Amino acid sequence: MRRCGTTAGGGVGNLALRGVSKRFGSTVVLDDVSLEIGADEFLVVLGPSGCGKSTLLRAIAGLETIDAGEIEIDGARVDHLPPGKRGVAMVFQGYALYPHMTVRGNIAFGLKNIGTERAEIDRRIAAVARMLEIEHLLQRLPAELSGGQRQRVAIGRAIVKDPKVFMFDEPLSNLDAALRSRTRQEIANLHRRIRKAMIFVTHDQTEAMTLADRIVVMNQQRIEQVGTPLQVYREPATIFVATFIGSPAMNILPVTRAAGSGTLQWVRLADGTQIETTASEASLPGQGALRLGLRPESVRLCGLGDGQTKALVDFVEFLGDKTHVLLSLAGGDRLVALDGASCPVHAGESVGVLFDRAATHLFDAEGRNRGLTG
Amino acid sequence: MTLRAPSAGAGAGRNWALLALLALASLAMAAPLLWTLLLSLKSNGDLLRSTRSAFSPPYTLQNYSDILGHSAVFGWLLNSTIVSLAVTLGVLALSSLAGYGFARLRFPGRAVLFIVLLFGLAIPEQSVIIARHQMFSALNLHNTYRGLILPGLAAPFGVFLMTQYFRATPRELEEAATLDGASRFKIFWRILLPLSLPAQATLGIFTFLSTWNDYWWPLISATDSDMYTLTVGVASSQMNFAQTNGLGYLMAQAVFASAPILIVYVIFQRYIVAGVSRAAT
Amino acid sequence: MDSCEQTAAPSTRRTWAASKSEARSGLLFVAPYLIVFAVLLIYPLFSGIWLSLHKADLFGGSQFIGAQNYARLFRDPVFLTAVSNTLYFVLLTVPPLTLIGLGLALALNNRSRWSALLRGLFFSSSVLSVTIVTLIWRMVLIPDGGLIANLLTSIGRSPVAFLSDAHLALPAIAFTTIWWCIGLPMMLFLAALQQVPRDLYEAARLDNAGRWRMLASITLPSIRHTALVVVVIELILQFQLFGQAQIMTLGGPNNASLPMVLFIYQVGFQRWDIGYAAAASEILFGMILIAAMTQYFAARGRESR
Repeated sequence: MRRCGTTAGGGVGNLALRGVSKRFGSTVVLDDVSLEIGADEFLVVLGPSGCGKSTLLRAIAGLETIDAGEIEIDGARVDHLPPGKRGVAMVFQGYALYPHMTVRGNIAFGLKNIGTERAEIDRRIAAVARMLEIEHLLQRLPAELSGGQRQRVAIGRAIVKDPKVFMFDEPLSNLDAALRSRTRQEIANLHRRIRKAMIFVTHDQTEAMTLADRIVVMNQQRIEQVGTPLQVYREPATIFVATFIGSPAMNILPVTRAAGSGTLQWVRLADGTQIETTASEASLPGQGALRLGLRPESVRLCGLGDGQTKALVDFVEFLGDKTHVLLSLAGGDRLVALDGASCPVHAGESVGVLFDRAATHLFDAEGRNRGLTG
Repeated sequence: MTLRAPSAGAGAGRNWALLALLALASLAMAAPLLWTLLLSLKSNGDLLRSTRSAFSPPYTLQNYSDILGHSAVFGWLLNSTIVSLAVTLGVLALSSLAGYGFARLRFPGRAVLFIVLLFGLAIPEQSVIIARHQMFSALNLHNTYRGLILPGLAAPFGVFLMTQYFRATPRELEEAATLDGASRFKIFWRILLPLSLPAQATLGIFTFLSTWNDYWWPLISATDSDMYTLTVGVASSQMNFAQTNGLGYLMAQAVFASAPILIVYVIFQRYIVAGVSRAAT
Repeated sequence: MDSCEQTAAPSTRRTWAASKSEARSGLLFVAPYLIVFAVLLIYPLFSGIWLSLHKADLFGGSQFIGAQNYARLFRDPVFLTAVSNTLYFVLLTVPPLTLIGLGLALALNNRSRWSALLRGLFFSSSVLSVTIVTLIWRMVLIPDGGLIANLLTSIGRSPVAFLSDAHLALPAIAFTTIWWCIGLPMMLFLAALQQVPRDLYEAARLDNAGRWRMLASITLPSIRHTALVVVVIELILQFQLFGQAQIMTLGGPNNASLPMVLFIYQVGFQRWDIGYAAAASEILFGMILIAAMTQYFAARGRESR
């Protein structure tokens, strides 16, 4: 459905970043970031600590100035406007509820600051409270609320201002596991109902995969890839995306080039095994090291004689519904296989290994995926 | 356990010694206070014969009713109250504003000015008091409330305390308020100031206590007996101590004059403890 | 939050109006205090130093005489007595205040009702003004019907005139001062004791450490910093002894209890020899700075070794 469809820019109510850069002293914290977000799109910015994702969010909100580039909301430049005038709302990691104001006071504060009439404030608070089921909490102070309730109030404070863009800065990281997954679903529901642009920053790939229309994967102050959850998983643009998304992480093995057969390139592992990839011979660079990426689920175990190669089982991690099998190949390469729950192998055994050809990725020396078409 | 038993026994022995020491110290602490109270409850005539009579009845409240009847104490009390409240409010206002400025706003010279303030903490009163006295003479500020209040506003301690406090409040709150469209002053007034109430209470009570008990400056600035603060007034009334024949009256005055500050102390005790804890760590 | 952003944030974070508007309101917020600070503290500080180089009197007559006031001070036997009295007084008060304060804190650092009551008792004198403290203590010390005199006569001894005895006047004032000031060191030490992690004591108990062992190897090392704070604070306070001596003895008998601040007061505000008083106050300022700094750096040095 709208997954890929509404991502193109230009429509009313969208957000665009062009060449946005920022530095603190000599440290670059955002490096030439460009991005467009549709008016009703749920965009998740995913990356490890220090990748610049929070800075990106804060730059859009106006909590950080930018040193270069432009930010537009609804086709109008906003990067010189103060945060309160940009039409954005944010849910902070620690919620940032004003501790001395009641829930009602917290939600009303932003409206009062722009001179909204009393009756209108009451009406909007009532509507938001009903929607988030916090009507009974309106007279309480933040300290009297549970973590989940605070979260709702923080969201209510954002919704009531009817912003063009909602921003969430790791809002689930302070919740326990059970509450986290429930709140995740509530946020997804919320988006379905109010259909506004939302930007959600997280380092948790589960949150990213479950919530996002599109995921922006960031690393080292730059965008690595923008795509739907399926795209970033199936067709990771770089070795970073490939290893950051998916658990257990994708196996990366150094390989050398073997025979090429037109569109399909063969590569050779350290133990001599030849593997067929989806990369075409023409797409590969003439020089430089190559690395093969194999998802654990596309490494399969079989009888000793039946495999493409054989491996020694180092370790077996039984997780209930599945099993991780840690293997080492004769050439010294180590990799993880994901197997069904009732995996019969034991540490110390030798097994046969099969590789799923369709799921291989070939990365060049710069870490770019050479197997992608287009 | 069997090994530890004897040492526990010895510990209990030492405990008694320690308890005895503590009891002695407590007695030394309490005795002068009780002695004063007893003396204040005796008639001046009894005390003139022998102060030993303080240990036995009859006791009387005559000295206290004499104070209530006709005494300059009320004037001094009023002066002390006006001066202490004004200094306290002034220090709170100036320190909060400056504390927010130093903690959260960037302006040229901020770091240098803050270091100058830290040096200001080390300036003892006696090294400025003579020049300050000259200055206030030139400005005709002696024997006025302004003359008593202004010097109390200069100590940098409050600014230092509030700066530390504001630095420790989460920045997210201010960012949320910024996104809510609040102006800088509104963030200060509606968000940070209410949040700093505990620190305000601590700073307020310390300022009030030290102003109330200040002696040297009011002694040289308020030379008219009308402008005496309680501290200076109580000093003036004991100057002819040896010749006094109103000993009970004098002691009743001491009790009466300590009452307001002791009440303030009891009410605000927990802020004093909190303030000391902050200073200690 | 991202770690690199956190480390970079405090020094260099810029918000949307990091520019002139922020600088302007920053200055507006700090200006009211800075004006008071400059006019009432910094100006008098320097003008006091300037004054100390003049022969100045009450009527504004003033003549630059360079360091002559200082030279005169070092030949003035009364001033030299005041200096040695002050040092003696500091020695009489600061160590006991620190040690008794620590002892009380150790004894009263528990949750019992009695401890709370005694903590209140030991701190209560600190909120009294100096004039009330002196009034109380004169009635304790006076040989003619004072509390101590009554106690002495009841055991058949003759009363002692503490405040008019040249050898006892300053110790008596010191005792009064300890009684008055003991609350603050006790509270500072109590606050520090609260901060010592409980599990250290539990670990020590598992290691069979006795009570004194724990005191020596856990408690005392943990509150070393506070001990330094207490010593420095009390040094600064007790160097400035004034009210007690001014009211209880007027510095007598024969200047035996005359401290430096009382000397400054008498010279400056009774003899109106203002330049001379200013010079004496600068010397006191210097002594306080040196004493506090010495303590501070001595403790630093010991810690780093």
